[in-house]
Amino acid sequence: MAEVEFRDVTRKYAGGTVALKGLNLTVGDGEFLILVGPSGCGKSTALRLLAGLDKPTTGEIRIGGAVVNGLAPGERDIAMVFQNYALYPHMTVYRNLAYGLRQRRTPRDEVERRVRETAALLEIDELLDRKPGQLSGGQRQRVAMGRALVRKPQAFLLDEPLSNLDAKLRNQVRGDLKRLHRELPVTSIYVTHDQVEAMTLGDRLCVMSRGEVQQIGTTDDIYNRPANTFVAAFMGSPPMNLLPGVVRDGTLHVGGAAITAAATPNGPVTVGARPEHLEVHTTVADGMVPARIDFVEPLGSHALVTAIVDDETRVIVHAPAGTQLDPGTRVGLALPPERTYYFDAVTGDAHRSRERITL
Amino acid sequence: MTTTELPPTETVAREASSPPRERKFRLPFSPWHLVLIPMTFVLILPLLWMLVTSLETESETNRFPPVLLPERPRFENYTEAWAAAPFGHFFLNSAMVTVVVLISNLVVCSLAGYAFARIRFLGRGALFVTLMATLMVPFQVTMIPVFLIVKWFGDNVWEGLGIDHIGALMLPNLATAFGIFFLRQFFQTVPVELEEAARVDGTSRLGVLFKIVLPLSLPAMSTLAALTVLTSWNDFLWPLIVITSQDQMTIPLGLSYFQGAHRVKWPLLMAANVMSLLPMLLVFIGAQRYFVQSVASTGIKG
Amino acid sequence: MPSLLGRLSRTDTAAGWALASPAAVLIGIFGLLPVLMSLQLSFQQSDLLRPQTPWVGLANYRKLAEDPVFVEAIKHTIVYTALFVPGTMLVGLFVAAAMNRSVRFISVYRTAAYITMAVSTISQGIIFLWLTDRDYGLVNAGLNAVGISSQPFLASPSQALYVIVAMTIWGWTGFSVIVYLAALQGVPAELHEAAMIDGASAFTRFRTITVPLLGPANLFLLVWLTINALQLFDEVYATTRGGPLRATTVIVYYLWDRAFVHFDAGYAAAMAYALFVVILIITAVQFRLARKHVQN
Repeated sequence: MAEVEFRDVTRKYAGGTVALKGLNLTVGDGEFLILVGPSGCGKSTALRLLAGLDKPTTGEIRIGGAVVNGLAPGERDIAMVFQNYALYPHMTVYRNLAYGLRQRRTPRDEVERRVRETAALLEIDELLDRKPGQLSGGQRQRVAMGRALVRKPQAFLLDEPLSNLDAKLRNQVRGDLKRLHRELPVTSIYVTHDQVEAMTLGDRLCVMSRGEVQQIGTTDDIYNRPANTFVAAFMGSPPMNLLPGVVRDGTLHVGGAAITAAATPNGPVTVGARPEHLEVHTTVADGMVPARIDFVEPLGSHALVTAIVDDETRVIVHAPAGTQLDPGTRVGLALPPERTYYFDAVTGDAHRSRERITL
Repeated sequence: MTTTELPPTETVAREASSPPRERKFRLPFSPWHLVLIPMTFVLILPLLWMLVTSLETESETNRFPPVLLPERPRFENYTEAWAAAPFGHFFLNSAMVTVVVLISNLVVCSLAGYAFARIRFLGRGALFVTLMATLMVPFQVTMIPVFLIVKWFGDNVWEGLGIDHIGALMLPNLATAFGIFFLRQFFQTVPVELEEAARVDGTSRLGVLFKIVLPLSLPAMSTLAALTVLTSWNDFLWPLIVITSQDQMTIPLGLSYFQGAHRVKWPLLMAANVMSLLPMLLVFIGAQRYFVQSVASTGIKG
Repeated sequence: MPSLLGRLSRTDTAAGWALASPAAVLIGIFGLLPVLMSLQLSFQQSDLLRPQTPWVGLANYRKLAEDPVFVEAIKHTIVYTALFVPGTMLVGLFVAAAMNRSVRFISVYRTAAYITMAVSTISQGIIFLWLTDRDYGLVNAGLNAVGISSQPFLASPSQALYVIVAMTIWGWTGFSVIVYLAALQGVPAELHEAAMIDGASAFTRFRTITVPLLGPANLFLLVWLTINALQLFDEVYATTRGGPLRATTVIVYYLWDRAFVHFDAGYAAAMAYALFVVILIITAVQFRLARKHVQN
């Protein structure tokens, strides 16, 4: 059983900073879980606590059902891929891969077999005699992965392993990672700040901000049923638009115009709508949000229209390719009611009533 | 907030008990202090013992096993030592030599260092290599001829530069190849664009050096300064060769002379020693960062 | 924007020489000229006072080869160097390893470790003369306390050189610690973390990760300390003046003695040149050996 569990884990520092507030998370056996969020959100802290490189202030961490709080990193049967790879510069690739196995007194021939097997899998078998300094960035990254894989650990920890690669290589390695996990489904916990990586790679995502979990779910959950404004705005590129609105007499008003029957009680509310669900209309009809065009960015396959609502809020809308609108033009934004999200104006939490809407 | 929770599983006990909080015996401080304190004590023991002895009476030092703490700290040792030899002269001489050597090095080596770093001139490579070659030559090879050269200066240019004058201590050390090397390395790390922008604005070469490069080079200059001060202040062999008159002696030489005159008057000798050491120790503690930097940067570059 | 420092312009050459000439003149007079003069001197007989310096060809060098004191001085210098260099490196590494952590007051501990660097050689000599005094010294008190009889130390021909070894190791520890500490801190923390996760104990990590990465620091210290050891003078002057019975006469001490006490400058110059050549050879050999080692 290689399940990983965080029970109420907190990490507080001597100066008073709280890096992690009461993390509760279970990663199933063989699951690929992604911790995603902006810098400072606590994702790297959580990973380091799991690795044993740091001690939690309170809470329990379990691997394979057993509590590992008191265990050294080497005793937890985990392997980690570091952001900067942390390859031993004075050792050959072979010795880098073999190091962990040799520390565990693995017999020489088995070390040989496993190293060559892993090297073949990652296509670095030709590099075994070279030193890290002689390798390219992509090759080093694969050696770092190999060093982790060869140990056949209970859990695989990855700390932003793609962030040092150039864009093209990053896309390629992302695909390699997905394929690799399909072939070798080891429980993996992956940290990134890149939401595209998170959405494409993860079985489940754990979105974090300022030390707290914002939402845990599949890509579909996170994208289509965001739990609060943070998740809504963080995931998706361009992010979900958030507009201030108010419900009066059961009707939602945004930008001064009455839009639709509201799904929530009277009062102020934050309305969310994704760029691809909004439509720009040059004739402002009833039920549309009035706005003024700011500029249009052509992207070939479609255009991104930036409009301003109420002279305040910037809204981005997907439009068909070839859309041409002059800055300042008055337009109406159509909000489909089933794709309109309601968030509490104060806390940012999604309104429960959302769950009644079918998508 | 949606969380997926599997039903609680059986804990396979890996340790005897694993409560959420560890109950281990912990010292209120890191155990490493128990290693570091004795180690540090042993390292500075000679200095401590010097201090203790400097406050004892002569009869106390003539006891065996030695007295570990004097009955009454005898500060008179210091005033007596001060009176027994012209320490005032020694300090002044050391200070003058060090200051002159320091300023000269900083000025001359920055000028040359900058020229080697940023100005392409005919013969630059050959000149640089020739100057750097002098780093390989040990002092003993040059000390006899330099003695003769300095003697010549004293006889033909100005007495103050010649044998038995502190000018002779300054003259050979006004510029060092190491200083040029060190500053050149550093100047090369200053972004060229800054200098080019200034020159486009009309600043002269020299102006660029003084207004742009030098202000950015304070850390390197401080590091070189620290090293120069230390080497100059503690220099012994050259002053020994050149100086014989007491009133021209620097501190190390003066201390050695004092040692010769008061060989077994240990408290007095130790008091003199403390007085001689103190200036450099204080400078070192205060500018520690730069001393460390000076060694570390030479070491890492090799 | 193309660099303005383009071609070798005449104004650039003038500017370059203008800025470099003070240094060039000073180092030329006091650094380069003496090298040539010294060579010339080694072929002459000079007493530094009279202007007559008759040419004697290789006589000085021949005298060197037959001089028993010189041979003894070489022996003493070699013994000293062979003990001092590894000794200082080991002590420095040991102390630096202990100081490479961030406990409270670590900066105080480190300052104390570095501080021997600021102590002048004369001061060192005086302190150690007193510490190792046969009748009243602290070291003998300590030895007596554990049942060992008082030793003559610097007064003994058989022990004096070793006391100087110990004394100079103490004096150079600060320097050695600074170099090693910088090197240790240069090892990225991530390497240690990766090794921890790979299951290596603290000692294994030190042995397999840290120490191999200290190569450059080791080479630097090896070369620098050797060069300085071969030029030992101050500490000998401050304590034993080459005695007792020439037991601590090292090459440079003998050289100084010949040149400025006996005024046999030509002979001393020949000795200096011989030492120079030896230093060059040893340094070159060390570099060559180290490069081969690093290549692996």
